[in-house]
Amino acid sequence: MVNHEEEVLAPTPGQRVGTFSKRKDVKRTFWLWLFFTIVFCVLGRLAYPHWMPPVLSKEMQGNEDIMIWFTVISAPIAGIVLAVAMESFLNMHRGDTPPEEGVAIRTNTPVVIIWTAGSVFFCIVAIVWGLVVMNTDATKAAADSATSLTVDVTGAQWNWSFFYPAQNIHTHTLNLPVDRPVTFNVISDDVNHSFWPVQLGVKVDANRLATTVIHATPTKVGVLDVKCAELCGLYHAYMETSGQVQTSADFTSWVSSIQATGGVQQ
Amino acid sequence: MTTLTHAPASSRPIPNPKKSLITRLHMGTGMVVGIIFCWGTYFAMKAGRDMTDSHNVNKVLLASMMMWSFGFLVGIGALIGPFRWLIGKDLTAEEQLYLAGDGQGVKRYFKYCTDHKVVGIQYLVGVMTMLGAGGTMAMMIRTNLATPGSHFVNPNVYNSLVGLHGITMIIALIIVSTGPFGNYIMPIMIGAADMAFPRLNALSWWVLFTAIPVLCSAWFLGGIPTGWTAYAPLSDQAGPGMNAFLATIIIFALSTAVAGANITTTVIAMRAKGMKWNRVPIFVIGATISVALAVPAFPTFMVAMIQTAMDRTIATGFYDPNVGGSGWLYANLFWIMGHPEVYVILIPGVAALMEIAPVFVRKPLFSYNAAIAGFAGIAGLSILVWAHHMYMSGWMPALNGPFMVTTEFISVPTGLLFLVLIGTLWRGKPWMKLPMLSVYAFIWDFLIGGITGIYLSDVPADNYLHGSMYVTAHFHYTLMGAALTGAIGGLAYWFPKMTGRMLNERGGYISFWLVQIGFNVLFLGMFLAGAEGQPRRVADYAHLFAHANLISTIGAYSVGIGMLTLLWAIIHSARSGVVAPMNPWGAKTLEWTVPYPVPLVNFDTPPVVTSDPYGYGRSAK
Amino acid sequence: MAHDTEFHIHHDSPEKVGRRERLGVRILIVADGSFLFSMIFSWFYLRNLNVNGAWLPKGVHTFTTSSGYMAAAGLVVAAVAHRIGEKKMEARKITSMVAFLALIFGLYYQWHQMAHMPFIAQDDAGRPFYNGAYASNWVLVAGANMFHYLIGGFVALGLVIRGRRASIDPVLEEWRQRIAGSWFTWIAVSGILCAIATSFK
Repeated sequence: MVNHEEEVLAPTPGQRVGTFSKRKDVKRTFWLWLFFTIVFCVLGRLAYPHWMPPVLSKEMQGNEDIMIWFTVISAPIAGIVLAVAMESFLNMHRGDTPPEEGVAIRTNTPVVIIWTAGSVFFCIVAIVWGLVVMNTDATKAAADSATSLTVDVTGAQWNWSFFYPAQNIHTHTLNLPVDRPVTFNVISDDVNHSFWPVQLGVKVDANRLATTVIHATPTKVGVLDVKCAELCGLYHAYMETSGQVQTSADFTSWVSSIQATGGVQQ
Repeated sequence: MTTLTHAPASSRPIPNPKKSLITRLHMGTGMVVGIIFCWGTYFAMKAGRDMTDSHNVNKVLLASMMMWSFGFLVGIGALIGPFRWLIGKDLTAEEQLYLAGDGQGVKRYFKYCTDHKVVGIQYLVGVMTMLGAGGTMAMMIRTNLATPGSHFVNPNVYNSLVGLHGITMIIALIIVSTGPFGNYIMPIMIGAADMAFPRLNALSWWVLFTAIPVLCSAWFLGGIPTGWTAYAPLSDQAGPGMNAFLATIIIFALSTAVAGANITTTVIAMRAKGMKWNRVPIFVIGATISVALAVPAFPTFMVAMIQTAMDRTIATGFYDPNVGGSGWLYANLFWIMGHPEVYVILIPGVAALMEIAPVFVRKPLFSYNAAIAGFAGIAGLSILVWAHHMYMSGWMPALNGPFMVTTEFISVPTGLLFLVLIGTLWRGKPWMKLPMLSVYAFIWDFLIGGITGIYLSDVPADNYLHGSMYVTAHFHYTLMGAALTGAIGGLAYWFPKMTGRMLNERGGYISFWLVQIGFNVLFLGMFLAGAEGQPRRVADYAHLFAHANLISTIGAYSVGIGMLTLLWAIIHSARSGVVAPMNPWGAKTLEWTVPYPVPLVNFDTPPVVTSDPYGYGRSAK
Repeated sequence: MAHDTEFHIHHDSPEKVGRRERLGVRILIVADGSFLFSMIFSWFYLRNLNVNGAWLPKGVHTFTTSSGYMAAAGLVVAAVAHRIGEKKMEARKITSMVAFLALIFGLYYQWHQMAHMPFIAQDDAGRPFYNGAYASNWVLVAGANMFHYLIGGFVALGLVIRGRRASIDPVLEEWRQRIAGSWFTWIAVSGILCAIATSFK
């Protein structure tokens, strides 16, 4: 660090050092902020869609949107924290004696107020976003209730079984027609499990003697993984099955094939 | 009222109350009596009982474990004080001085010693032991998960590893700052001669000590299948090892209540003259808020454990739906404790770093009031957010919205903590010593932990993420990245006062970078696995997740090697490190005004405080 | 409830020490209060949930409402007696004995209730179990009452013995009375709250 910079960094008492935005440390912090913000935005935008499994339902799309956009919204705030920390880190003093005394800034009320107001605003955005999505899902589920396909899901140590009441078939794979809302009634035979059709982006616990309900609307044809997301004992890791989101025609023929074998999937 | 004039230890006669039982009791007698009580109970209760009935097995085991704990306390002399009070023969001043361990050398660390400095070191060793055990289990977990289809351990052992790693680390992290620093440093920081209740202080440590063998016994009783959350009804169904878990928590909750009452009272009532509330060091504020939050939080966990124990021993049905019970009751009680507990862990670590930052930046703590508002806000909100762990449980989906609101708002006080730290760093030239490095590590780790918490608390995103590895990575970033990092920073900072020697710098640096780089590789890998859809607590996984898990395991080994390096540095420095000056960092809090070894009553003359301890820096105007 | 810390706090007045010790006990009471809250939460939660219709399965008997208050009576009597003794030093020998005896009788009464629970059923293998969530909750509440009786009895016995010994420092004893007073008042309140809860069948 050269001398004139130090002068700029640490003004002596009573001395004005020009406008805030002209200060070297402020400028450097700004560029660091821009860097971190862009990195976080790009990571959020690119990484989640890349990592997360194929989106097969409206709900899963909603989840992925939240992951991406929350990252983008929080990037500027995280950027400030990291930029200031990095700026001070670059100014480090090494050696066995303490550095010279810094500037005695006890507090800065406008900064505290702006920071708090900013974080409250950010919170409200997150909350409103979440509530709107929840409300949209709930309204849609209520509207769809007449046309939706019902599947009764039972978790037992350590497998899943499905019963389609309208079709009167018992299965151990979860096949669903595309673009038709589904209602899952979930229950457990023993301990708690958690029903998780991964690519549909919904999840609910299976409890003994208490039915829980979730809704989803598959929007794309593809392979489904069904997993248990609640530790349920010895073979929890292996409590999984598969399934498919199919076209209506494929689904109908799948149902018929099971009905042909007495309503129980072989 | 007995008055004691303080004189240097060398010129004072070592108290030796002859004929008194307390001189003959120590950890060894405690263990002997504890083992006798334990096995005595075991054989007495086993006789004539049908041991094919699991209820009877649970009854016998639980009673034996609790009697071990009680017997140990009898044998070490913890109950002499209450008994002497009962019969109206209070302990004499000489006996109390003996209990304080003055002049007894290393022996006092193995006795029922009431000196807060001894208790602090006991906690430090205890915490390090627990972290070592928990860390070893973590390494075994990661080894098993290195490749899909690995059979390093079988699923039963794996589930036990997950559960016991969890509970060991949770217990260790709850006490990691408030145990060693809260006991050793904090009373000196506030200018007190000792804790408010020295005997309760010793009690809190030794009660906790008795929990350690009980928890270990879980391994010999078949392990626990439930994870550290011990959800019912899985815990009702679990084998005999579960009893060890229940007994541990019940014992630990007692210890926490006692320690919490003690620390809170000490800070409220024993501060030095002139130490008004706005002059109290921020670490003391943080530690106090943390233990004061723990006092009402842990009894709910204890009730949940007692109910589980009753289901398992006398066939009640709290969690058995057939007779009107519900797993949701357990989940509620558990998380009413569980979420405050997260902040019980977090706050002291952050507060320690806030104590460190001003010293090394040579600037005042930025906005002391914002720091307190942050801690208080977090503590206050933390009791209103528990059901965000239960969004997907099916319990009252209508409440998900309100709980999402309270949970998201925790980011406001949390944001204040960041503001305080970066405000302190702003325009500073930080002295890059070991403690200061932890401040930077904290900022990075907790930022990631905090932001991922924002997704998780949003109900729709939690639909996908709940119960996945993403959650595991998130809370490791907050608990390990923030609380443990804070505690390691605190250890490096206060090591000279606790051992009289400086912590080895080279060892510290190597350890720091190994741990931090390894940690980020480990848990960024785990975020990846979680986003890809891997559930948590699985002994095996699909090939899809292989890369993410291998990355995590490599990171884990780096953390392991780093922690071993730190252990070496600690042992090496404590034995033969550079002798520390009285105030190596040039700090302004009271603990740096006393010499090492710290005298029995800390201060020759009670200190008088005239300002807060953050008067660093040149005037800004 | 005994914390002898005289030597450590050599520069503090007895009154200051007394205040501090009361504060410590009150914080422990907060912890116990949280325990009580959890029990009452369990009671009403399972009662409202009524899983499987098994809060009170058909044909299961309950305790009468008054029995809950009877179980708390010993705690209340002890608290009142102790409060009188705190005010009137000359009556202390009698009041401390009354408090102790009330707690012993209360303990016996609570134990007697627990020995005659009307809701224990037997499963197919002939093993006893608690039939219904009411039964489970009741036994937990009764157990907590027992715990309060035991700790209260210990403190009361101490005060009885100490009240008859001349060699004890009266200043120290005075604030120990007040510490014990906090505890007695709390366990009486807790007993009444439990009785109110158990009256909701």
